[in-house]
Amino acid sequence: MEVLERLINVAMLVATIRTTAPILLVALGGSFTTKAGIFNIGLEGQMLVGAFFAVIGSIFTGSAWLGVLCGVTAAVTFALIFVVLVVSFRANEVVVGLALNILAGGMTISLMKAIFGTRGSIVGHGIVGLKPVHIPGASDLGVFGQLVSGYTPLVYVAFAMVPILIVFYQRTRLGLHIRVVGEKPEAAEAQGLSITRIRYIASLLCGVLAGLAGAHLSLGYITMFTENMSSGRGFMAVAILIFSNGDPLKVLAGCLLFGFSDALALRLQTFGFPSYLVLTVPYLVALAALFALAYRSRPRIVRETVDSMKRLMRIEGPPDAGAGRRNES
Amino acid sequence: MSHAVELRGIVKRFGTFVANDCVDLVVKAGEIHAIVGENGAGKTTLMNVLFGLLQPDGGEILIDGKPIVVANPRAAIAAGLGMVHQHFKLVPSLTVAENVFLGMERGRAGFVDHKAQIAETERLSRDFGLKVDPTEQVGLLSVGIEQRIEILKVLARGARIIILDEPTAVLTPQESRELFQTLRGFVAQGMTVIFITHHLEEVMAVSDTVTVLRLGRKVDTRPTADVTKNDLVQMMVGRSVSFDRRQREPSTGGTVLSVKDLWCRDDRGLPAVRGVSFDVRAGEVVGIAGVAGNGQTELAEVLSGLRPASHGTFRIHGEDLTAASPRRIRDTGVAHVPGDRVVRGVDRQSSIAANILMGRQDTPPWARGSLIDWAVVRERSSEMMERFDVRASGPDALVKSLSGGNMQKVVLAREFSHDADFLLVDQPTRGVDIGATESIHNEIMRQRADGRAILLISVQLDELIALADRILVMFNGLIMGELPGDSVSEEALGLLMAGVQTGPDRAAVA
Repeated sequence: MEVLERLINVAMLVATIRTTAPILLVALGGSFTTKAGIFNIGLEGQMLVGAFFAVIGSIFTGSAWLGVLCGVTAAVTFALIFVVLVVSFRANEVVVGLALNILAGGMTISLMKAIFGTRGSIVGHGIVGLKPVHIPGASDLGVFGQLVSGYTPLVYVAFAMVPILIVFYQRTRLGLHIRVVGEKPEAAEAQGLSITRIRYIASLLCGVLAGLAGAHLSLGYITMFTENMSSGRGFMAVAILIFSNGDPLKVLAGCLLFGFSDALALRLQTFGFPSYLVLTVPYLVALAALFALAYRSRPRIVRETVDSMKRLMRIEGPPDAGAGRRNES
Repeated sequence: MSHAVELRGIVKRFGTFVANDCVDLVVKAGEIHAIVGENGAGKTTLMNVLFGLLQPDGGEILIDGKPIVVANPRAAIAAGLGMVHQHFKLVPSLTVAENVFLGMERGRAGFVDHKAQIAETERLSRDFGLKVDPTEQVGLLSVGIEQRIEILKVLARGARIIILDEPTAVLTPQESRELFQTLRGFVAQGMTVIFITHHLEEVMAVSDTVTVLRLGRKVDTRPTADVTKNDLVQMMVGRSVSFDRRQREPSTGGTVLSVKDLWCRDDRGLPAVRGVSFDVRAGEVVGIAGVAGNGQTELAEVLSGLRPASHGTFRIHGEDLTAASPRRIRDTGVAHVPGDRVVRGVDRQSSIAANILMGRQDTPPWARGSLIDWAVVRERSSEMMERFDVRASGPDALVKSLSGGNMQKVVLAREFSHDADFLLVDQPTRGVDIGATESIHNEIMRQRADGRAILLISVQLDELIALADRILVMFNGLIMGELPGDSVSEEALGLLMAGVQTGPDRAAVA
């Protein structure tokens, strides 16, 4: 019991919300492309350049928000290259996405070397991070206050995007058109909607959120950039998107699951578990979740088999199902 | 009476092929005008030119007496035209109202006013007698209702001249009749309807005027009351063709195929065939009727070994082949004419000879040892092309250069020359013109006379009535009933196809 209390408490929930934010931002970004019918495996790279250029922008302008803007611009540029190649030149989505991911990894490392002469990470150099937001009066609310106050701004942005996207897909013309283009492009075409234009918009919107996710990584709680900082979150987002079909609520649920296991992993480290084992926890959770989802289709098979066995045991079938059988006799 | 549409000397070429050769067409305002012709006669091309989907190489288009240039569908819609395509373009996850207003959403500032759209859909639905629930999700609706939504889409865009391309191809006879009533209603409200079809009964039943196209040219335009079905067939084909039930000797053979409580799932894992049982005897044609998508395709795939059965068995000559590979099933004596010839029937990129060779590449005299004897393959292919009336330059012609009918004859030539005891024939004349249909039907009857057991799956009722000794009707994965081929009414078939059982013992009569 005591162990459980040490594991699951307010601090743990706060940690979950924090670790969820970046993956939620990038996954919601990917929701645009998923809904528009583009398989966007380039999220990881967009997030990484977002993180890198947010730090660069922050150093050179001295402003955290201008840093965020730089990060977003970089990610949107990557998103633009992606969509030009995939939509206008009809290149393979996976190949282009992977190529851009590799480019992002290599580019950030070489630029780091060129600008700062270091390998590994950029720390100091006057990076300005985003200040946590303290909601006035939250400290009077006790536990609830702790839960809702004191995060950096992009955490609020991430969670606010969920209802915004729900409304976007259901009530706005653009949201509707993105869904149509993904689900039935020929229907869009027949009504004179430009598939190309809508896919461009979706991809650029995706770049904005992926850039914000990256900026949150490097200017949020820690103000530094390290090699391969996105560390697979973009790929996690892709996995979540496949299973959620880009629906904002399902994306949120998936991200919270990963955020929680991330936070759990950090927590377990304080218990003295070997860190390399603990770091596998989020991925084990991912595997388990995917397995559970795949397993859901099992009962249907079982049900059908039971059905036909029942029919065998019965002498007279139901009038509709038995029609084919009766004319045998 | 004024002319709603007038086409003058429309020419449309695709490369060297002339799809429309100087076609004139006059459609009077307020009439139902049927356009008939064999496949490849240029009906759809002509309508696509009228609707702005294709640009003509020559000729003039007049709408309401005024010459206009229809550069794209948008211009056509602005001129008051609307087209319901053969393949629906609806978005399954959206509601009826959202689909109706797709691309012209009501609302302000980028937001969609769902209430206004629903109200307007309701009004249109009431005014034109097209019953729909605007708030329902389209993915859950039947094909008949989907067509209503497509028509509503056209009406919502203010169309007064409505073009329908093969509107009844996917409907049950009852749904077709409802559609015709709706079309009559449109005309009563002063609108004009043009519809493309190859079902002559429909032309006779509903149209005021009929235009016949053949090989890209207009044969004639006549008031429907002045022509008979036979006149139309002669105009379409250039000679007379019989569509009556084929004469036959009663079959006496033993059971070849025996299916018992067979189940299988579709690609999404849902039950597609749900416990069907039947026998096919030697020298007998058993027809399977049903609206497309009620498990017929899956049944054919199970019987040819392409899809696993989830329960039940089927036997050929008593041998259980339920879990056998396609190869083993073929070797046991099954020939399969697949429903989708382009996907499973032929390799379009290969020659006719190579397509006829398929499946025999290990058998002498086609191959000696592991080497194929192409001289023999070509010679035999030429013989078969002659026998099955495949019209092409020679055995080396690529299959993709053939018309649908000739492609299908290549498949039949290969499959029917196997000496298989059981022929599984799925949609043998889909997209095939009348002349070729007749020769395919002749070939099926010849196989029957030779004592083959034949399972004929078709969505064309006249084909089943012409050929089948017994007709089983499938609906929703079940066999709804069996009708004897010599005394079947389209009415009874249609009810079974719609899932209505005419009586509890109907199935037991046979």
